[in-house]
Amino acid sequence: MKKNILKFASAALAAAMVLAGCSGGGGSTPSGGGGGGGSAADIPKSDVVKGETNGQTYPISEEKISLTYWLPQENSMGNIADWNDNEFFQWLEEKTNIHIDFEVPTTGNEAQAFKNLFSVDQKEMPDILYTQPATQNYRDGMDAAIEDGYFVDLMQYLDLMPNYVSWLNSIPTAKKDVITDSGKMYGFWSFWDNIEEGYADQGLAVRKDFLDKVGEPIPETYEDWERVLTKFKDELGVKAPLYTSKYGIDYGEFMAGYGIAPYFYQVNGEVKFGPMQDEYKEYLTMMHDWYTKGLLDPDFAQRQSTGVTADSDVTYNDAVGLRVDWGTRMTDAYFTKGEIENPDYWLVAAPQPKKSGGADPAWREVGNNFHDIQQVCVLISASSEHIEEAIKWVDSWYAKDVYLNANYGIDSEEGTTWYAAEDGHRVSDYDFRYKNPDGLDSLTVAAKYWAKNPPIRVEAMQIEQMPADRAESYAVWSKYPATNYIPVTVTMTSDENSEYAQYYTDIETFVQENNVKFINGERSLDEYDAYRDTLKSMGIETCIELRQAALDRYNKR
Amino acid sequence: MTTMKKSAEAGLNKKTFVERLKMDLKNHWQMYLMALPVILYFLLFNYLPMAGIIMGFQKYSVRKGILGSQFIGFANFTRFFTGPYFWRLLRNTLLISFYGLIFSFPLPIIFALCLNEVRNAKFKKLVQTISYLPYFISVVVVVSILFDFGKSNGIITNIAQHFGWNGGAVIASSKWFRSLYIGSNLWQHLGYNSIIFISALAAIDPTLYEAARIDGANRWQQTLHVTLPGIASTIVVLLILRLGQIMGVGYEKIILMYGPSTYETGDVIASYTYRVGIIDGDYGYSSAVNLFNSIVNMIVLFTSNWFSRKLNDTSIF
Repeated sequence: MKKNILKFASAALAAAMVLAGCSGGGGSTPSGGGGGGGSAADIPKSDVVKGETNGQTYPISEEKISLTYWLPQENSMGNIADWNDNEFFQWLEEKTNIHIDFEVPTTGNEAQAFKNLFSVDQKEMPDILYTQPATQNYRDGMDAAIEDGYFVDLMQYLDLMPNYVSWLNSIPTAKKDVITDSGKMYGFWSFWDNIEEGYADQGLAVRKDFLDKVGEPIPETYEDWERVLTKFKDELGVKAPLYTSKYGIDYGEFMAGYGIAPYFYQVNGEVKFGPMQDEYKEYLTMMHDWYTKGLLDPDFAQRQSTGVTADSDVTYNDAVGLRVDWGTRMTDAYFTKGEIENPDYWLVAAPQPKKSGGADPAWREVGNNFHDIQQVCVLISASSEHIEEAIKWVDSWYAKDVYLNANYGIDSEEGTTWYAAEDGHRVSDYDFRYKNPDGLDSLTVAAKYWAKNPPIRVEAMQIEQMPADRAESYAVWSKYPATNYIPVTVTMTSDENSEYAQYYTDIETFVQENNVKFINGERSLDEYDAYRDTLKSMGIETCIELRQAALDRYNKR
Repeated sequence: MTTMKKSAEAGLNKKTFVERLKMDLKNHWQMYLMALPVILYFLLFNYLPMAGIIMGFQKYSVRKGILGSQFIGFANFTRFFTGPYFWRLLRNTLLISFYGLIFSFPLPIIFALCLNEVRNAKFKKLVQTISYLPYFISVVVVVSILFDFGKSNGIITNIAQHFGWNGGAVIASSKWFRSLYIGSNLWQHLGYNSIIFISALAAIDPTLYEAARIDGANRWQQTLHVTLPGIASTIVVLLILRLGQIMGVGYEKIILMYGPSTYETGDVIASYTYRVGIIDGDYGYSSAVNLFNSIVNMIVLFTSNWFSRKLNDTSIF
């Protein structure tokens, strides 16, 4: 894809190619390993707090080497053609003496592109892979990916990664999340710096200008919503008052008030599957009712979206009243792009609805944050020729001097991309990004001067520099803690995973298909019990048991 | 031809196969040279990949490869046959093919016959050109057109509603999937598929018509007794070839067109294989599904060929 070779000045270096501690790895494929119980390995203690002092020696490689980096961020590239045009990456290359060739899969095709990596010659596997484990995963689970020799087990290289280890020591819950049941560590997880528990960056988004026109506050219950959406439709002529995904449900934001979730969730440690619950039927009954009344997007089944808004042809104009969207798209964030014709356009966050008199919702798609952990994991290929350098390179990102530059722009950009606040911490310059002196759009500015979603993300960077009314969204969505969420770091063993995959792939398709049919009335809701029986015969109970076992092990870790 | 026959007959009694082959190679090396690229093509692209069938009997892992993966016998097949989607996939595949055959096989013939009766050459050319223009539109574009026309306020939905349909967007309805799929196929391929019949019609000896006219046959009788018998063998061969593809509903258009709401009638074996194989990476299982598909296909092909040979001596092998 977008590859490019950028030449740079070579540097010399202090030769600490430590082989001392990594005897287990040494470039060969760590196999088997771990077996049962995670007690065998433990994370070494570190006095450094959250990478305050950089534990790596630079440059990392004496000779200039090139590593390939699989980075599924095409949609963040703005107008740059290659991530090597990014100032931060250039700075990092100079610091580490490691050149990076970027492999960027096309937007929307990331999960598929990731799967394809397993079927090519392993020499072709990129050295370093930036992945989102929720959607980009190995069929038989990450334990199996290590056992099958695709990725290195980082437990064997702990002494090469002092910065990451310092983070694991600084976050009490982290160990539980980063080590699998068989004692493996398959990647570098990403963390938030200074995060408040429960931060949410996506959720329900409603048109404030519509609400004002019909004289309603932001609705809180389903009854409120029904009234408001009806007004949208009748008084404003909105074509799709409620926009949802092509599966008829979003990531569960709107159904949360029923105490359920779209697929698997937990209630006090007990795993449940949404469609098996009576509340799910109630929810579908309501959606069917709304569909008949024209409150739901009549063309929802043909939309591109699988959860978060994707169809800009309807969502950027006045066709939609309520939808699920990202925090960065709130208010009039898209005005600069000239895609909004209505000058009143104003999008605000809304919390998950409740049943009137019902309990607080306990679910939302946590997306990017759980226990300080972002759902991003960086993997190292086991067939890389430079495993150690790759590990050290990734580890560098966890040192403060590097991650500050990654989040805000490099040191020498003080006064342009960022400035120092009175207490010395960096603040992004909002105007530089959104009213760029060179006339660049905000996306291109971000792509040019700092790293998009680096392994350590500074929360302040996200919100502090936003206009206040946009930043408010994050608090609205975090109103209810997502206690029913099952962390993505709950892992199954490879055997469990292949059994699970055998049943679950068919089940998920079946659920999505039937959601649509129940909502648009092709299948009567009277058949819901028969539908649940079919799910049982397809093996849903086995799937629940497998997930339950995994969750139990996780809770005991 | 005759020399080949002679040498083959001559060698039949005395020499072994290898000897005969050697002699034949020596005598007709030019022919063999000409056939070589085709033979290589089939070996490389059709026979060699057949080794992949083994995957259908394995718990296939890309890392371990065909030689290293664990053999699990017929487990993949059992999983498919007892799975929730087996009957639906089989039904959808057969029905889409069958309806496709009913509509898109005879219509090009009728179209060609009609065109054949047109005497104005310019008009004939014009109609023919217009009719096969859609063939050159990419299937992606055709499907986008369907999506646009089939959405809740699209023209097809409006027309359907005029005739009493009240189920919203037709493109999202499983009841409409086959009609839209076959209808658009017909629109796209009618003209192009008729070309071969038009050329077969052109090859009929004009003296036959003359003789028929002298015998007092009218236009209809000429069509029935001269034209149709004249292109009968073409029709039969093409029909057998079509029957050979009865399980081979291509996945390209299907996966562009279907969605959760239309899986019920739109999901076919090929699209299912695509989903489990390419999307989910379950290579062993998808090979098994595909092998089943090919076997059924082969049975249909051989049966129809056998029937045809019995009935009217026309067959493709």
